[in-house]
Amino acid sequence: MELTIARHPVADIQFGEKTRLDDTTLIINEGELRAHLLEDDRLVGADLEIVHPGEAARAGSVFDIIEPRAKAPGGSPDFPGIVGDVATAGHGTTHVLEGAAITVLNELSAEERGGRQDRILEMSGPASEHSHYATLHHLIIVSRTREELAPHVRMNAGRRASMRAAVYLARVGIGEAPTSSETFGPIGPTEPGREGLSRVAYVGQIYSRQRSPEVDEQIIYGVNTNGMMPLLLHPNEWLDGAIAPAYVLSLGGQETYFYQNHPVICDLYRRHQAHELNFVGTVATIAATDNADRDRNCHAAANFAKWGLGADAAVLTKFGGGVPHMDMAVTANILEGKGVKTAVMVSDMSGDRRVESALLFNFPDVDAVVYCGGDDTKWELPAIGRAIAGDPVTARTLAASGEVGAATIIGVTNQQGATHIQSIIY
Amino acid sequence: MRIVHYINQFFAGIGGEEVAGAPLEERSRAVGPGRLLEQLMGEGAEVVSTLVCGDNHAVENEDEVVAAVIEKVRSAKGDLFVAGPCFEAGRYGMISGAVCAAVEAELGIPAVTGMHVENPGVDLYREALYIVDSGQNASEMKNVIEKMAALALKRLTGEPIGKPAEAGYLARGLIKDAFVEKRAGERLVDMLMAKVSGEPFETEMPASSFEATPMPAAVGDISKSKVMVITDGGLVPKGNPDGIRGMAATNWGTYSIEGRGNLESEDYEISHGGYDTRFVEEDPNRLVPLDALRELEEEGAIGELHNEFISTSGLANPLSNTRRMGKEMAEKVKAEGVDAVILTST
Repeated sequence: MELTIARHPVADIQFGEKTRLDDTTLIINEGELRAHLLEDDRLVGADLEIVHPGEAARAGSVFDIIEPRAKAPGGSPDFPGIVGDVATAGHGTTHVLEGAAITVLNELSAEERGGRQDRILEMSGPASEHSHYATLHHLIIVSRTREELAPHVRMNAGRRASMRAAVYLARVGIGEAPTSSETFGPIGPTEPGREGLSRVAYVGQIYSRQRSPEVDEQIIYGVNTNGMMPLLLHPNEWLDGAIAPAYVLSLGGQETYFYQNHPVICDLYRRHQAHELNFVGTVATIAATDNADRDRNCHAAANFAKWGLGADAAVLTKFGGGVPHMDMAVTANILEGKGVKTAVMVSDMSGDRRVESALLFNFPDVDAVVYCGGDDTKWELPAIGRAIAGDPVTARTLAASGEVGAATIIGVTNQQGATHIQSIIY
Repeated sequence: MRIVHYINQFFAGIGGEEVAGAPLEERSRAVGPGRLLEQLMGEGAEVVSTLVCGDNHAVENEDEVVAAVIEKVRSAKGDLFVAGPCFEAGRYGMISGAVCAAVEAELGIPAVTGMHVENPGVDLYREALYIVDSGQNASEMKNVIEKMAALALKRLTGEPIGKPAEAGYLARGLIKDAFVEKRAGERLVDMLMAKVSGEPFETEMPASSFEATPMPAAVGDISKSKVMVITDGGLVPKGNPDGIRGMAATNWGTYSIEGRGNLESEDYEISHGGYDTRFVEEDPNRLVPLDALRELEEEGAIGELHNEFISTSGLANPLSNTRRMGKEMAEKVKAEGVDAVILTST
């Protein structure tokens, strides 16, 4: 399994005549892109806007952020199960418009979506300094869907539109010489020449079943995790479109962009390439909604890591709040029991910012914990001239000044490992 | 800078256990460890008052001693209050913690003390105070006073205190955000690799230990007991009359089940964002098993079902909330003469 990431740097995005890459400027023919998106007959329109780093612009609420990427012919499909057919993701060449992003906004207001939390893309000012997204040039999309459609169908249309736009735009890179390219793999539990190195696996949650996923909530290879048990994934599958976030950005945040640029997987790859460790593979798992499922999933995930991958060490991440926190810790504890050393990454769940409320598990062997924060970091956002939103209520709220917490600014907190906010105990 | 220093009879050189009943007295100069403290606090620093008290007298008359200390610090116009260091001396630690906490709260001036981590004063006051880690050994007095002085200076000047290990104080158990250079994913792999190779690593969240809750006595004869149901699954009457929040709830409600054989789905809703609530919405008896309990009541297996249940939401609730709510619920349960409670969770 070999994946080549061919990078084409983008330093500007403009609307123009022909969709193409002019040196480092991505030019987009707005009409043609819109027509392409409207091939999905659930859409009746699409608002398209461009924002740049440092611009006094704000957008929300953010449904997802995606890096424009397109597969060269002969490799695996684009976003299998959502855009392309289902086949194993992660091989061939992927053209990447590095420095660009597609940001898709919720078309429905928070109220229409059931009072779910809003997240904001902030392009300038102190709050933006801690989000990688503020360094990118964004094409912002609001898909306008037929009003008679159920909310989940409209969200599915938004997801599909964002991924189709990502592929459509990045196709400008196919046939062009990339500025840099990097090859991931081959890699696997039996890779030769790795004797004596620690065999490290990544065990990552991709969803929590506390909320029943919608029937069309396409989380892994286009399906919604119903009936899912832990499964082995090649690291390239995460990076190359097999996994998408849930419809609701869960506590801490997960975006497609940081699956494509997964901080934990990329760091393990880097050290694998430096011969510091042997990255043997990954297990994708879910947090359960009842105890029997939890026990089964945690044991299965640990068994895959131990017996499927032959890992002697593993890093684990969670998806969401307290239940996933616990499931991850139980999995780590089972791994430790099998002689697999672990480190886990959690987000602060204390509520009152006191240690006694913070730790949801107490397994003596699960003693290596990365602790992400965000609960007591706040910024006063100024009123802003350019506020881009899916609905007028949100647009008015966004344009006004107001205090926001770190988790509201997309990219500041993140459960995929991209956050720089640490919760420190004093 | 005017410093007021509290020490016990032993460190004042009066004597040991035989004079532990000595009452509070004041000396208008530095005594014992206060002399080094005065030096280390720099030019212009002066211990204007040393308060000396026997440990037994202090803990047996805590309220009185604390009030007297506050008055002495006030009239001495102290800028800084220091107590100890107390090392392993338990009574000394407890009173030092009490006077430091009271001085900070009442007078708004910084207070610093020092104790061994296992001193009982630490458990009582670690969250409220900066307690310098003194270790067990009083022969380390010089080092400990140096750490206390450095910490006191930082507090007086408003300089950042720093992390517990760096600044030499015992972790207070308070969580604060900081932006750090390395992102979380990289720290995660760093920590794993350190653990694997046997190098020292510092977890960002050490395991906390909790006081063990003793197993309560068995319910005597359940067939003669009054039984009540309490749930944290968020079942509330339609409209959520008490406004119980679905996350980090701060209150709980009491709901009548008098005369009912089971709970009908049209009468209830769920305020809880942490589990798949569909089954309980369909049949609330699966969270508050009124149907089954009525059968048991009928059979005589339980004496009587209390005519109301208590409900709150247990999602992401800090201990400071749940401890209070638990106490409130226990008072209610006692007042109703309930003998046994069935807790249902999700």
